[in-house]
Amino acid sequence: MSLKHNRGALVRFAAIAAVAALALAGCTSTASGAGGSSSSGPIAKEDLVLVASVINTTNPYFIANIEGAKALSKKLDIPLEIIDSQGSSQTEISKIQAILAQGKKVVMFVNTVASSDTPTIVDAVKRAGGYVSIWWNKPDNFEPWDAGDNFVAFQKHPGVDSGRCNAQAIGDALGGKGNVIMFPGVQDSTTSQTRVAGFEAEMRENYPGIKILENQPSNWDPQLANQNAKDLIAKYGDQINGVWSADDGMQLGAIQAFDDAGLLDKVKFASDGLYPDTVKLMKEGYGNNAIVGETFHRGYMASAIGLYTAYLAATGEIVPSELPKEKRTSFFDIKCVTPETLGDYLKYDTPTAAADFVDQLVEKGPWDTEPATLIGGGGPEVLPKP
Amino acid sequence: MVHKVLSEQGAGGITTTAIRIRESGIERRARFRGLAEPLSLLVALAVLIGVFSLLNERFLTASNIQNVLTQSAIPLIVAVGATLVILLGSIDLSVEGVMGATGMTWILLSNNSRGGADLGPWAWVIALGVALLLGVASGLIFTALKVPSFIVTLGMWYVGLGIATMLYGTDLLPRLEDEGLKGWTSRISLGLPNSFWVALLVIGLGILVLRNTRIGRVTLAIGNSETIVRSAGLPAFPVKVAVFAIAAVLSGLGGILATVQLDIGSPTVGSGVLFIVIPAVVIGGTHLGGGKGGILRTVLGVFLLTILNNGLILSGVESSYQSAVTGAILVAAIVFAAWSQRDRLRVAK
Repeated sequence: MSLKHNRGALVRFAAIAAVAALALAGCTSTASGAGGSSSSGPIAKEDLVLVASVINTTNPYFIANIEGAKALSKKLDIPLEIIDSQGSSQTEISKIQAILAQGKKVVMFVNTVASSDTPTIVDAVKRAGGYVSIWWNKPDNFEPWDAGDNFVAFQKHPGVDSGRCNAQAIGDALGGKGNVIMFPGVQDSTTSQTRVAGFEAEMRENYPGIKILENQPSNWDPQLANQNAKDLIAKYGDQINGVWSADDGMQLGAIQAFDDAGLLDKVKFASDGLYPDTVKLMKEGYGNNAIVGETFHRGYMASAIGLYTAYLAATGEIVPSELPKEKRTSFFDIKCVTPETLGDYLKYDTPTAAADFVDQLVEKGPWDTEPATLIGGGGPEVLPKP
Repeated sequence: MVHKVLSEQGAGGITTTAIRIRESGIERRARFRGLAEPLSLLVALAVLIGVFSLLNERFLTASNIQNVLTQSAIPLIVAVGATLVILLGSIDLSVEGVMGATGMTWILLSNNSRGGADLGPWAWVIALGVALLLGVASGLIFTALKVPSFIVTLGMWYVGLGIATMLYGTDLLPRLEDEGLKGWTSRISLGLPNSFWVALLVIGLGILVLRNTRIGRVTLAIGNSETIVRSAGLPAFPVKVAVFAIAAVLSGLGGILATVQLDIGSPTVGSGVLFIVIPAVVIGGTHLGGGKGGILRTVLGVFLLTILNNGLILSGVESSYQSAVTGAILVAAIVFAAWSQRDRLRVAK
């Protein structure tokens, strides 16, 4: 395929897309203007469409989100549409509105770009009579039970547990003594903040011999984490004994910086996500077993749980307003993984893993499927006292 | 001032002399100004270095200097291309997209963890070919269809990012497996990091092209007045396409080096580079309108930004204040560096 041809096709595609978007935007305003009230009561399966909205399509976690949505779509035999927010709240919201305007009843999973997007999205879905589950980010004071049945649930893995698990791994690996640096994600992200709070609290309470030298927010960006790690190596040199990152992507960037500086053998790493690449590094004992701890959860589980909960509400199998609060704002289990227990988790990365999980999910329901079972919720995550 | 002198002098002969004196004065000041601008930028840089080294004694250690040079290498390479484009009076916003597309192409054709073909040196040729195609496309659309470069290259940014995302697909992250190349960019040869040597080479070639080739001279002339260039029968069209092509290839080279540095292929490998490169060119004193400026000044601009970032981390400014402090210091440094340019008739836009 020549580039010229490719570009022509792209331009044509872009033009069609633009026209379609404009047309749809027009429809949205008419539809909502006509006064779409929130719909209740079961919807026939043929009228449903699954929609999964992710922050971008290059991060392994979000790719896994899509994988889970595809598996559920196949299992339930309902068509699926994917929304790539390209890292922008504006793009996310306008694409969601365009899909809502098509008239089908949506069953939606949204991994929100920013907490503040949630009310806008919920409102749009409600007016179109769809059902939505939000993952990871929402404002603390905006709860599903206040917003009505169309906002089926807010779900996430608790960040504090994740941070504590990582702190234990590093604390134990260093024998309770040493200096640690931290790479949080985007500074105002709740996900990052809760993980940071858990990590710091665990160190403070149980590892008094470990000193946190500094934290440098690295925006979930491996490249930035790599640069910041280089700067901190220049600043502290071989004083650094442990490195924590809020996700595996940034950890890969940080590991490379320590590798370049020839310090990898002496430093221990822990992070959240256990990306398949991290599994590989842990298995081969990369850099004198540099990675000592990870937390395990999978993007396909998140999207499948979120979509399935919304699906049950749409078909009337559950009535959200009758559910206990922890099934509306829900925390799902996150597993603590060390190199010794790594073997137990390899089964979740086989080619059929997403489909297997979805089979289990449909059998056992959204709250009781191992390894992501419901462990709490009912309100905002409580941060440990500083 | 001139008017006043003229009216006061009255008689013809005296007036001519007075005008000559004034002219030579203006000329002398212009020459001084030409030097004063980069000089004051150097002074600003020196002040920053001085303050940072007082705040943390590790700032001026060999290892941190090598660290700063490694970090500035990729922006420097990309900035050489950006300077040429801005000297034309145009702008190239596509750098991050081109970096992503080139970096992904390169790593997938090199020895990586996803397997596939390992084409060795051909991976470089093909990847840089992708960059060249994107650059030529931008250049042709810009010149032949007369679409503003701002829009063309903005579009090309997303085309590049799109190509990179398609190449990335849904597989594992491609990790570099070539042991010889792993960590190559920050390895030290003759006291300097390898990537910085590449940057020096690119800067040298850039200066050579700008000063000693027809492309360079016509580029500056186009920036000053394209109408004159065209009516003089100079090849404005091919030069403009060539400059966009050069800029894209340099962005591509930056993309490959960034991929080597991170050891992982990622469509967003260039994220943040655009907002170092364009400010660096402007801080260096190259006019956004084109025609005036140069590559060495841009080098100072890149160093200013890289050192600022590194120094703030080393001096322990709390991360929540860092962006505000970076911004404030930057504005102060620019005001100082551009002090000599407050010409009465100079128009800032």
